[in-house]
Formats: sequence, structure tokens, C-alpha cells
Amino acid sequence: MAPLLEVRNIKTYFYTQDGVVKAVDGVSYDVNRGETIALVGESGCGKTVSALSILRLVGEPAGKIVAGEILFDGIDLLKLSKEEMRKMRGAKISIIFQEPLTSLNPVLTIGRQISEGMEFHKNMSPSEGMEEATRLLKMVGIPHPDRRIHDYPHQFSGGMRQRAMIAIAIACQPQLIIADEPTTVVDVTIQAQLLELIRNITKELNTSLILITHNLGIVARYAQRVFVMYAGNIVEHGKALDVYHAPYHPYTAGLLGSVPRLDEPRKARLQPIEGQPPDLIALPVGCSFQARCAYSVPQCLKEKPRLLEVAPNHYAACWVSQKELKPWQIL
Amino acid sequence: MADIIIEVNNLAKYFPVTRGLLRRQKIADVKAVDGVSFAIHKGETLGLVGESGCGKTTLGKCILQLIRPTSGEVIFEGRDLCELTDKELVPVRAKLQMIFQDPYDSLDPRFTAMEIIGEPLRIHHISKGKEYSDHVLELLNLVGLAPYMAQRYPHEFSGGQRQRLGIARALALQPQFIMCDEPISALDVSIQAQIINLLDDLQQKFGVSYLFISHDLSVVRHLSDRVVVMYLGKVMEISNRDELYKNPLHPYTQALLSAVPIPDPVVEMKRQVIVLQGEVPSPMNPPSGCVFHPRCYRAFGDCSQVVPLLADAGGGHQVACLLYETSRP
Repeated sequence: MAPLLEVRNIKTYFYTQDGVVKAVDGVSYDVNRGETIALVGESGCGKTVSALSILRLVGEPAGKIVAGEILFDGIDLLKLSKEEMRKMRGAKISIIFQEPLTSLNPVLTIGRQISEGMEFHKNMSPSEGMEEATRLLKMVGIPHPDRRIHDYPHQFSGGMRQRAMIAIAIACQPQLIIADEPTTVVDVTIQAQLLELIRNITKELNTSLILITHNLGIVARYAQRVFVMYAGNIVEHGKALDVYHAPYHPYTAGLLGSVPRLDEPRKARLQPIEGQPPDLIALPVGCSFQARCAYSVPQCLKEKPRLLEVAPNHYAACWVSQKELKPWQIL
Repeated sequence: MADIIIEVNNLAKYFPVTRGLLRRQKIADVKAVDGVSFAIHKGETLGLVGESGCGKTTLGKCILQLIRPTSGEVIFEGRDLCELTDKELVPVRAKLQMIFQDPYDSLDPRFTAMEIIGEPLRIHHISKGKEYSDHVLELLNLVGLAPYMAQRYPHEFSGGQRQRLGIARALALQPQFIMCDEPISALDVSIQAQIINLLDDLQQKFGVSYLFISHDLSVVRHLSDRVVVMYLGKVMEISNRDELYKNPLHPYTQALLSAVPIPDPVVEMKRQVIVLQGEVPSPMNPPSGCVFHPRCYRAFGDCSQVVPLLADAGGGHQVACLLYETSRP
């Protein structure tokens, strides 16, 4: 069966006074039905922009999707009219944002915000919408949902707001949910609650999930496949198991080595990745990770590596691993 | 013990909640920190973990007297800091420094790097003129920044570099103790390790003690010698690092540890996560008995009535939980 979503070589650029910021520079990935994939990377690597591009929510006029195709269930989303795209958002594809306080509307009640999408997409009356909203709030685990639907976002705690956000996202039973750092602003115990909730709901509704995060532990717990991004490109992807145990890109290996792990003996010293990510306005000609890479060869400076299969269903964009076909050691 | 640098005894900070416009009336207290005691030893790192709102930052600020505690004592060099006037505190502050969480908010945007790092030197009249600029450059070098960056403003630095500036400023007066309030939580993963290693190196070089406040249990394990676990203004557990992570006693600590995802899919598949129900209650109206009992999966009858005391469970491992209280004094 064809994948639910196929992103093909999209480029999303931002035109600023200082120059063109190549936030996403030729990224491809796909999501199967009912599957959870993760986009991992650090701030500014383009993981959020590449997901917002799917919903065509990139801030215009500065931001623009300049190339590529986004096939959702066989339809190229980039070719849809604004009106057709509006019918997709919330109904077929929805998103859970990182910061629920700024992404919920402060002057509308929670119930109204959940019901809004259903009224638009499913022609529900406001009273039917509120009834359904109560059911959804209950489903996401908010106590006294019949009373709480009349509350405003400021009356909810951070964890509850994110639950409300999840209720909005699942209201129209979308086929794909994008979760953009859904738990970065909440505490670990609440994080565990929310992620379990998202997992159970996506399983129950057979929804596909794109999980965007910088937390390697969350990816390991929830995603089946991982796409590692660096400076606007995917540098490695494969099954979570393969990527974590045999990383073929030095950046992935570096990331895995730089976080302390609770299940392993304590290391005397962490192995950081020295330096900083490159400026997206002035990207180098060759590999964008070259300046921070301990294993670079002259070719890395001259030419940008493309993603190639280095092991079965495991892709990496690194000249050295493509030649040697050996994973890197996690230090 | 002779090697104790700071001793905190029964420290509490209540923030009053008032009502009324013309005649303000106190209607309640937010018990941000409620009867906390522990000691920090020379040259050690004491980790302080807990969720947001548990009072860990307030506690840190109370130790430094940036917030005056409601009651209790903070003993440093034989004196109770809570008793000192603001003026008397000035020389003490040179020995007790702080690194803040957000490297974007904690640096004055109109100061250059040199002025930021040099400010403590000027205030405490440590050095002047050529000596002053040499001193600042030395500090820059110490935290891994280049001398030519001295004339730059904060916005010209990356997040990690800004945090290095904050560290250089804290080190300027060669303090004996630095309180690090979530110093890496605003940084990217690959940069976090750089700052952790830097803090490690500086401790080995200068023998400074840290109070390392964080919600990241894996980082706390990496850096700390001993760990304090807080919940709703109270200490739940104190122990040596290895003992705490190998043998957590308090149900809250157990839940916290199990909630931390481990970056390994194979390990994650086998792990059992303790998902705590509900959220942290309001510190304005904390639960009776043990403050953790409404969320505790091992709570029994007495937990809602009896306040557990922090008691020794052997080998310096202290826990405040009725499960481990055999007899009441």
C-alpha cells in the first residue's frame, strides 16, 4: 500500500533582509498508515518548518515553499487552492503545537475551540459540537468535562491545556497528526501522561503521527522510524532500532554520545559535539556538518553528500560511511 | 563535620496571597519552601531535582538571600545569613554566586561581554585598568571564549556562548559556592554536554561547590555527588548519587526515574513506566499528611493524615515516606 504521506524534496526558504534562510533544503520522508515517525534535531535544523510545510502554515510572505511535492493520500497538497487546503487542516491532518498557552485562543472557551473544527468540517450545530467536545475532553482525561468546557485557557494548567490541544487535534478523526514538541514545556511526570495519551489515541484511531522532538529518549520510546535532521537536511533515517544501535552519520552518533543515560554506568565525561550548527544563510558548499565532524575527509568540503542506502532500509548522507559501509561508534 | 560549607536548617519561604484593594488582607500562604534542611559539602555538587513549582528555585534564592526566607537558618562561615543586613551581605555575596537558567534574560543587552564579566570585579573593587582587562580576558579564556569577543554584545553570542558568559561572571570573584539554576535547560542537546563538561572542569580546578538545580534526572546523575528530591516545597529524599539511582526509596523518586525516557528503543520496549495520575497540587492549599499522597500509587490509610518525617534509611540515605517509618519518636 502506498504511504499515507509522501514528502518529496521540499525546499522551504525564508527571504529576509540578510539573505535567504534555507530552513528546509530538499527534504523527503514518508509516513505509512498508523505509523509513528519522528523528526529529530536541534533548534533551527528545520524540523518544525518541514512539518508546517505539510499544512502550508509557513509564514508568508517571508517564508515560501519553493520546490517539492507533498502527496497526501495521492493528492499534492501544494497544488490545492487555499479553500481546498482549509478543508484538509483539522479534518485530515491536524497539529499539536508546542506551547499550548500561545496557540489556544485566550478569549474563546475550551469547548468552543474544540467544537469549532467540527462545526466547520462536519457541519455540526454548536450544541452538537459542545456535546462532542465534552466527550473528547473526557477522552483526553480532564475531570468534570461538562463543567470544564466552559473554562478559558488561562483556567487550565499547562498539562491540561496540552490535553485540550490534543482534543482539538483529534476532534475530526484526522488520518495524520503532527505533534510539534508536544511535551517540551511540561514536567517529566506530565510528559509521561501526555505521551501515553497520544500513543493510546493514535493506536485506537489508527492515526499516523509525526513526532517532532529534540528528545532522543522520547523518540526511542514512541517512534518506529526516525529521521535525523541537521541544518535543513535529513542526514540519516531508518528504523529507530537501527539508527540508535548503528548510527551511520557522525552527527547521530555524536548526539547519542552527548546525552547522559540513566540505564548505563555513569561516564566520567560526556562527549560533546564541539562547535555550533552553521548559519542557514551561508551554508557551506560541502557537507554542513563538516566543520564539527571528527571524521571528515577532503571530499566533505567540496561536495554535499546525498542520502544513500548504507544498510537495508537505513539511509545516511555521509561520504565516509557510504564508502566504508560501517556504522560509527557511539563514544 | 568540618567540610560543610553551607548548612540549611528548617528553611521556609511563604509568599502571602492577599485580597482586597484598599484594605489588603492576607487570605493564604503559598508554601514555596516548607521546612527544608540539608548541608552542602566543600567541593561537592549537590543536585536538586523536582518539577516546576516544587520550590527548587525559591530554595536556591533563599540560600543566597536573594529572597529573604520566612524562617529557618542558612549557616555559612559560622554565621546565619538570614540574620545579616543587606550591607553585611555584600562581602558574603562575593563568595556565593549564581548562574541563571536563561542566558537570554540574565545578561544586560547594553553591556559588552567585558562589562558583564567585569561588573563583579568593579563592584567589589578587585582590579582596575590594565589589570582589570587582563583579568576579564583570563576569565573569557577560562570558559572557552576568545579574547576578541570581549567587545561584543550579548545578542552577538549563541545560547551556549551566552551561558559561558554567565559562568565567567559567576567565577570572577572566585566564589566558594555557585548555585546553578537549570543552567542547561535552555540549550540544545549537543551544546548541553559542552557546558556540563565546562562546569565539571571548573569544579576540579577551583574546588567550588555547586547546588545544581535541574529537572533533568540524567544530567543530575552525571554531575552530582549527592541528590535532593523535592516535591511541593518539601524534601522527599536525600541520598548519595549512586545509592539514589540504584535504590530509590520514595515512590515519587521511583516515578520520576521511570518517567525519564532512555535513548534506546530496545531498553524502552522492556521498561515499565510508572505514570503518575493527576497534577501537582497548588502549594497554596497543599494536601494533608504527606503532600504526595493524592498522586502516590503506594499510598495507604495513614498517608492522608500523618506528615512523614525525613528519616535515615541507612548510609546517609534519607527519605520522608511512611512506608519506611518503623517507629515514630
